[in-house]
Amino acid sequence: MKSPITSDDSFTRSAGRQLARYAFIAVAVLVALMYSLNFVAGLTSTGAGGAAGAVDVENNEISIYLREEPPQMNSMLATDAVSGMVLGHVMEGLLRYDENDQIVPGMAERWEINGTRATFHIRENARWSNGDPLTAHDFEFAWKTALDPATGSQYAFIFYPILNAEAANTGQMPLDSVGVRALDDHTLEVDLAQPIAYFDKLVAFVTFQPVQEAFFNATNGRYGADADEMLYNGPFMMTSWVHGASLRMVKNPYYWDAERIRLDGINAAYITSDSNTLLNLYKDERIAVVDLTAEMLEGAMQQKWQLDRFMDGSVFFVDFNHREGRVTGNLNLRKAMFLAQDGNELVDRVIKLPGYLPAKSLFPVWLQGVEKTFREEYPAPESPYNVALAREHLERAKQELGLSEIPPLVMLADTSPVATISSQYYQEVFKRNLGLDIIIDAQTFQQRLAKMDSGDFDIVLSGWGPDYNDPLTFADLYASWNLNNRGRYNNPVLDSHVRVAQTSTDTKTRMDAFGEIQRILHEDVAYIGNYERGRVYATHPQVKGVIRRVFGAEYDYTGAYIETAD
Amino acid sequence: MTNPVVNQELLTAEDFAPLAHRPDIHGISRPSRSYWQDAWIRLKKNRRAMVSLWLIVGLLAFALIGPLLWQVDPARQDIDQISQAPGADRSATIVPPYEFWGGQALSGFEGGSGLRLGAAANSQAVRLIWDAVPGAGGYRLYRNIFPIDDEMAFGLPIAEFPNAAAGFYEDRLDLRPDTYFYSLVTLDADGRLTDDYQVLEVPVNRVITLDEVRERNLAPEAPELAVGDEVFLALHPLGTDYLGRDMLARLMSGARVSLFIGIVAPFLYVLLGVAYGATAGFLGGKVDQVMMRFADFVVALPFLLFMILFQVVFGIGPGESGILPMLVALVVLAWPATARLVRGQILQIRQEAYVSASRLLGARSGYLVWRHMIPNTMGVILVTLTFAVPSAIFTEAFLSFIGMGVAPPTASWGSMSNEGLARMLTHPHELIFPSLFISITVLAFNLLGDGLRDALDARMRSFE
Repeated sequence: MKSPITSDDSFTRSAGRQLARYAFIAVAVLVALMYSLNFVAGLTSTGAGGAAGAVDVENNEISIYLREEPPQMNSMLATDAVSGMVLGHVMEGLLRYDENDQIVPGMAERWEINGTRATFHIRENARWSNGDPLTAHDFEFAWKTALDPATGSQYAFIFYPILNAEAANTGQMPLDSVGVRALDDHTLEVDLAQPIAYFDKLVAFVTFQPVQEAFFNATNGRYGADADEMLYNGPFMMTSWVHGASLRMVKNPYYWDAERIRLDGINAAYITSDSNTLLNLYKDERIAVVDLTAEMLEGAMQQKWQLDRFMDGSVFFVDFNHREGRVTGNLNLRKAMFLAQDGNELVDRVIKLPGYLPAKSLFPVWLQGVEKTFREEYPAPESPYNVALAREHLERAKQELGLSEIPPLVMLADTSPVATISSQYYQEVFKRNLGLDIIIDAQTFQQRLAKMDSGDFDIVLSGWGPDYNDPLTFADLYASWNLNNRGRYNNPVLDSHVRVAQTSTDTKTRMDAFGEIQRILHEDVAYIGNYERGRVYATHPQVKGVIRRVFGAEYDYTGAYIETAD
Repeated sequence: MTNPVVNQELLTAEDFAPLAHRPDIHGISRPSRSYWQDAWIRLKKNRRAMVSLWLIVGLLAFALIGPLLWQVDPARQDIDQISQAPGADRSATIVPPYEFWGGQALSGFEGGSGLRLGAAANSQAVRLIWDAVPGAGGYRLYRNIFPIDDEMAFGLPIAEFPNAAAGFYEDRLDLRPDTYFYSLVTLDADGRLTDDYQVLEVPVNRVITLDEVRERNLAPEAPELAVGDEVFLALHPLGTDYLGRDMLARLMSGARVSLFIGIVAPFLYVLLGVAYGATAGFLGGKVDQVMMRFADFVVALPFLLFMILFQVVFGIGPGESGILPMLVALVVLAWPATARLVRGQILQIRQEAYVSASRLLGARSGYLVWRHMIPNTMGVILVTLTFAVPSAIFTEAFLSFIGMGVAPPTASWGSMSNEGLARMLTHPHELIFPSLFISITVLAFNLLGDGLRDALDARMRSFE
């Protein structure tokens, strides 16, 4: 009886040995396969990708990331921040912002603005990246093309201060009637519809960048679709653009102020907006700069990273749908919701990122007033948190609307982490304090904009980033004619103040108008302010001179350099 | 071995006489057991399966009875205890309500120099004041949770001050009961950081106002509370999530969603699959061919796409629960596997002698199916069912994870895992608990299914 068992036992043991051998071979093959595949992938990967580190001292290059793939790089059509950031490096307008956000000469070496006539003198050494001289005609062409109704530029309205621009854009007048003329190769003359105070700040905007007509026509409508379908006049030029993967810029030898630029190349090696991926890339020294979320701060402190903060200038708010037939058109309901939330709590306890400020006004704290900042001169109205009063307003709202219960409100929000957490926070706050049911409609950013355009919401978590350094960029947001007024708020008194701010050149008059707009929006509860957005970011210790700006490129590497030990 | 030699000469005629009838000869020495009793006994011997069974009973109790015992609203946000780990200190001191602070040192904090406190520091606010530093162009204030060492990593940049004068700052950003290190770094005239800095160590206590205590009903048995008394914040046995919501309550309500989908969906589609497969297998021939090709067609349909289509068809707007379309999509698309299995079994059983015998004796089709076929396929069906449950739970978790399942504020284990993922490194409990529940549930159902397969397999009977 004993022997068969032992033989069975030894059989099991030998089978076990065999199995272990197989397992070992399998693991070894797998490891070898992974290494070889990795090697092959390294050989075949195109363009900038992967291998380069955050800082390449030898080639004087740095690697960065882009949040999204730019839709295209045509300055006349660009609307998004990523395109704006790349264009801010590869293109330059007549004027630009310096490191202190002041207007300085760009392609124009000097300029005069007298009343309704602005004259820009293009510098003699202005060149395109193919060596062609850059002329005033290139600006005239770009501006008129952007205004052409056939182009369909969403930012065409930014030209409207120019004489006849609005009429030309709506097709009522020919493009030739627009008040932009190249007198000769180096002089650009602009006639304005009326004197405006901020035209110099306006021309630093992306849509005002030049385009060479001959090259544009040669691309057959593919201008800006690829790295070689574009001509550059900025500090850098794009040499490769692997769509969806990477983008590479090198120093432009024809740039007029090339001495200012200290980097030889910028490698946008990754296109992703996933904050955890980016954090890992930064940890692995693959990218030089990374934005941090609230969850990462503790780790960053532990790792002893040098952190910086930056306010990107944008204001976020809960916007109401004021269209006919929406309950949110009722003032008392809006007041109730306004009083039932505490903006400080959202910023300090829920978002908890340094740099964020509660948005007490549509006008952010950094805007310049007459002498001091706008908000110092025209303080934001108090916004008390008062649940008892909020409930009174809610009762009144129900009576006025003839409803026993307010139907569930659809809250449109996008899918970013901060929007997700804010929407869930508000959902509970309005439920707890007012008994309102909120249905969260989480959409991608583009889809959110589309739904806002079609009015498919009751309330929406929205935001606005400034286009130029003047309070008007916020003030006209609720003007009845502004297409970005997606809740279709309509108030003739507010409109008249916006008109005053647009047409007056007297700073005091304009600031008074902005003060009035701030007051009206508050009294009418046109929106509920959430926060002024901030960013906390870590920069590679060797990389210096990176600027984050409110206008133009969000990250500006034109002044960046690599600090070496010697 | 050889057969014993039969010695014929030993046999007599008596040996061939019939035995007398003994009543005890047909007696069954052991009690008769049905197939199910037998299976149950074998299942009971399988310790893994039994543990799993009890786990499942426990989970059901957790989902159904739990919310009755732990009556906390899973959507309620406790803003004072955001991302709190289990077992964290909950004590808070009562202080007067927050008042605006204009930068003057309050009584008890006068005097001193450099960076110092202007008032008692607590989780309501940390109020700092400082004197002007000669030659400064401005200041930047940092906050750290670690002491500042030679590397001069000051931590979070809290605020920046462009003027060189003495200043003050009130920090209210996410203050937790902890020790903070505030550093005031001097900026030069161009706004660049210099090496000149001062550090202040600030221990912060958690505080709460009397109004908040009353509003949240934190001390119902002690109505006579005054400033300075200590109260305990709401208890969260498993901690809270990123919005201060109670994890235990969310896990319970999440369990309802997950187990509902996990049990109802497989039950329905296995039922559908059994009916379909039994019909196809029993009828056979052309009908069988057509029916099974249709099943093949259904297998080829992509689940996720149909899930989205059903959401559209059902008019499930964004922000509404996607549980019903998920259920429908699962039932509509997942039945063919069961149908194939049952059909195969039925085809086999149809050929068995006892079926033919039954038919010869005049049994009708209904009787055949009901009496012979279904009971004989029951083992297969039950095993499919127990294996279908974990896969349905996984499907729900996955769909909620990618945001196609429940709508906020409803919780499900999948969506909780998704939310916890972002905070995995700093607050691991937000990910660990829901994923642990998913793992345990799936494992329990799998092990039970395994045990059931062994127990219900008729061929295993001989090993008893």
